[in-house]
Amino acid sequence: MKKRSNTQERVSRMYRASLTPYSIWSLLFILVPLIFVAYYAFTDNSFAFTTENIARFFTATSQVTAEDGSISEIHTYLLIFWRSLKLAIISTVICLIIGYPIAYIISRASTKVQKNIITFLMIPMWMNFLIRTYAWMTILQDAGIINGFLNALHLGRIHIIGTESAVVIGMVYDYLPYMILPIYSILAKLDNRLLEAARDLGCNGFSAIRRVVFPLSLPGVISGITMVLIPSISTFYISQKLGNGKFYLIGDAIESQYTANNLHFAAAIAFILMIILLVGMAVMRHFTNKRVNGGI
Amino acid sequence: MAKMKLSSKIYTALIFVFLFAPIAILIVFSFNAAKSLSVFSGFSLSWYRELFHDSETLGSVRNTLILALSSSIISTVMGTFAAVGINKLRSRWYRAAMDSVTNIPMMNPDIITGISLMLMFVFVGRIFGASTSLNFWTMLIAHITFCLPYVILQVLPKLQQMDPALPEAAMDLGCTPMRAFLKVELPEITPGIVTGLIMAFTMSLDDFVISYFTSGNGFQTLPISIYNMTKKTVTPKMYALATIIFFVILSLLLINNVVDTDDGRKLRKLRKSRKSAKLTAMTMATFKKITSSKPIMIGGIAVIVAAIGVLIGINSSKALVLNVYNWGEYISDGSEDSFDTIKEFENWYQETYGRKVRVNYTTFASNEDMYSKISSGAVSYDVIVPSDYMIARMKNEGMLLPLNFDNIPNYQYIGDDFRGLYYDETNEYTVPYTYGIVGIIYDANVVDEADAENWDLLWNPKYSGSILQFNNSRDAFGTAMYKLGIDVNTDDKAEWNRALDELLKQRPLVKSYVMDEIYNMMESGEAAIAAYYAGDYFTMIDAAADTVDLQFYYPEPTNVFVDAMCIPTCCEHKELAEIFINYMLSEEPAIANAEYIYYASPNSLVYENEDYIDDIGEDTYDILYPEIESFGELYNEYAYRTLSNDMLDYVNRLWENCKIG
Repeated sequence: MKKRSNTQERVSRMYRASLTPYSIWSLLFILVPLIFVAYYAFTDNSFAFTTENIARFFTATSQVTAEDGSISEIHTYLLIFWRSLKLAIISTVICLIIGYPIAYIISRASTKVQKNIITFLMIPMWMNFLIRTYAWMTILQDAGIINGFLNALHLGRIHIIGTESAVVIGMVYDYLPYMILPIYSILAKLDNRLLEAARDLGCNGFSAIRRVVFPLSLPGVISGITMVLIPSISTFYISQKLGNGKFYLIGDAIESQYTANNLHFAAAIAFILMIILLVGMAVMRHFTNKRVNGGI
Repeated sequence: MAKMKLSSKIYTALIFVFLFAPIAILIVFSFNAAKSLSVFSGFSLSWYRELFHDSETLGSVRNTLILALSSSIISTVMGTFAAVGINKLRSRWYRAAMDSVTNIPMMNPDIITGISLMLMFVFVGRIFGASTSLNFWTMLIAHITFCLPYVILQVLPKLQQMDPALPEAAMDLGCTPMRAFLKVELPEITPGIVTGLIMAFTMSLDDFVISYFTSGNGFQTLPISIYNMTKKTVTPKMYALATIIFFVILSLLLINNVVDTDDGRKLRKLRKSRKSAKLTAMTMATFKKITSSKPIMIGGIAVIVAAIGVLIGINSSKALVLNVYNWGEYISDGSEDSFDTIKEFENWYQETYGRKVRVNYTTFASNEDMYSKISSGAVSYDVIVPSDYMIARMKNEGMLLPLNFDNIPNYQYIGDDFRGLYYDETNEYTVPYTYGIVGIIYDANVVDEADAENWDLLWNPKYSGSILQFNNSRDAFGTAMYKLGIDVNTDDKAEWNRALDELLKQRPLVKSYVMDEIYNMMESGEAAIAAYYAGDYFTMIDAAADTVDLQFYYPEPTNVFVDAMCIPTCCEHKELAEIFINYMLSEEPAIANAEYIYYASPNSLVYENEDYIDDIGEDTYDILYPEIESFGELYNEYAYRTLSNDMLDYVNRLWENCKIG
């Protein structure tokens, strides 16, 4: 008996020890840096306390010329944030619509096919994303590949590059795998018998998916949404390249404040973005956790 | 399992067409004969040859692999232990805390992770007075940090699926806890660990944003090198590199597929006999499985490549290291059979001084970018090449060291016109490297010759949708201010507002705000009018499509700039830096650089050299070196000067306004 409790103590000591490096690491390199963001956000160049940086985010204004030539004043950063959010949400929704069926198809294929498709999904990520985005410019340009095809078929031309669609295409392209992978990993574990049972009970294929498969895959969907929404809201390279430099998003704002050496204001934008996202995600998780048990 | 339906097959195929379309494009253009990513002018393997001669790019590939490997391995080991620990946590509070902390890097945009780490490193570095607080180690820490959650989130579910009674049973049967872990738990969670490792490796390989903020001295990864080609152009060389990566992975997968089928069957058989406690056999099988699985093969090959890389690194680390920080694509680097400046300098130095030197050459995308890095105190460079207005600013802020011209005898060859310019009136701090004039490039097939006279062309509504504007505040405002006849260095905010109004007026006509994208757009006829630096016009002509007839003129007045070599106060080898600067002024490298960059040289060994003039051609020479009565006067009147911090901030705000429209 004594020996047993001894072992148990040793075991639990071992487990605690195995967590220690990570605890220290996450304290030093995850939590403390976030405190630095807050610290810089609330100080000026001489590190004296100020709320000016935060205030600037909410109060700075710019003039915008509308299509009809009329000039109106808008809140610079609120508008930038709103635009980023809009594009990110559109991209996320498209990723979900395109990605869910493919995740489902993969999960129903044979193990070998599954493995191969998943690996092929990851191959593009091994080739630098800056280069891939660059290649998209060649495809989408007015004198690019798509218009070359359309021209050859005498179908006229379409103007994509520099529009919202181009930026969305770039984001969907880059982040689609992040939507597919988590959904797939949930669906792959799904018991096939559940589907059969649903069919036996009178569901047709589609309603079986809607009423059985989809609800069970919600944790994957949520983590897919998170993994697409977060990077697409803050991207700055895609908007520069595919948006013809005309889409100035929140990531661009942070980056340009950083290059202009306005570290404190860059930190302030980052801080506000972080708070909004964390609150948003917490709310989303709160509502969905009631419906699904666990998560990824 | 069921066979795929036809509709599913078609859908899957469509998705893969979408995912691989850009990859097909870059494979095709990697074989382009011309230096263009949008106009295909013939098949050639030259970019592949160049790639293997380009030590800078190969160096950054090596760095990327070293970083990806070390960060993925460290984060996998640490993450696996962490997952094991988290899984056994009994305190609910502790557990929730660990879960949230793990989620933070996933829930935070990478730009915030990058900035937060950068702020901390810089701040801590300052406190300890470290000369370089951003370096390989900070990047490694950053990469480990964002890789960790991926590992933990892969391993943890595997642990949770496992029957907790199993390790206990093993211990009851006499295993020590460690042995029980190794023999029972580890094999069970290995698939999760392997997936975590692969994911960490992939994320680290592909990361740009976090590296961008945390990179520092001399350790440049591939994404950063590519990003820094922003002023010049991304070359098909990079496409060639991507193509090679693609085919290496593809062939690994194909080989592995053949090996895999056989092994999988054996494993399934073993799985059936799991309950019969053949733990050792199972471990063996799992390990066998792993060693023959594709991730490990890929990883294995990467390990070998990296090991070679590290060996090269160690081998040369005994040498004296000179850190040079220059614009992207701003030195003759041995491509297109040109002179490999860095390598030649290293050889020359060893022959002359009998000591080994290694030049650590890194690049920046803009003056502001370079300034941010250096003023953060986080990096240490020996030679930098900023533009005039940035030199003035750095000099005023005491960031530059006076040069010892005894070590730079070649300075005698610098033309009189290029001495005593406003940013360094007493010729103490700088040695000019290149200079140039901003002109307007237009496609004569689209634009009426009569319209091509002055700055108004960039505002001509006739060409709406074909006009390109600079994507940097100083040059963009410059075009508007020269057009309106405003002093580009004015302190009068009202004048800047006027310039902004002009830019806002232009915005609906502008096709795109560009830097390096200008090359593709002008070469392919995508756009017809752009203001850019004179020398770059020739790079475009070389690669332009047949349907495009690019012409060039100087509007008046226009911007004149000088980029000069300086030594910042963070310099560690001042004499060596001066020897390097002197070497850059000697005939062979100076001509090679002038021919490579296509900008004008202030060095009389270059601009008076007959062979050089022959090489670039009379017409080119006339444009690059227009006859100017007094360069100094023109320069001092129209060059950009440094603005006060207050003005910089103001201009920055106006620029943001212009960008949102």
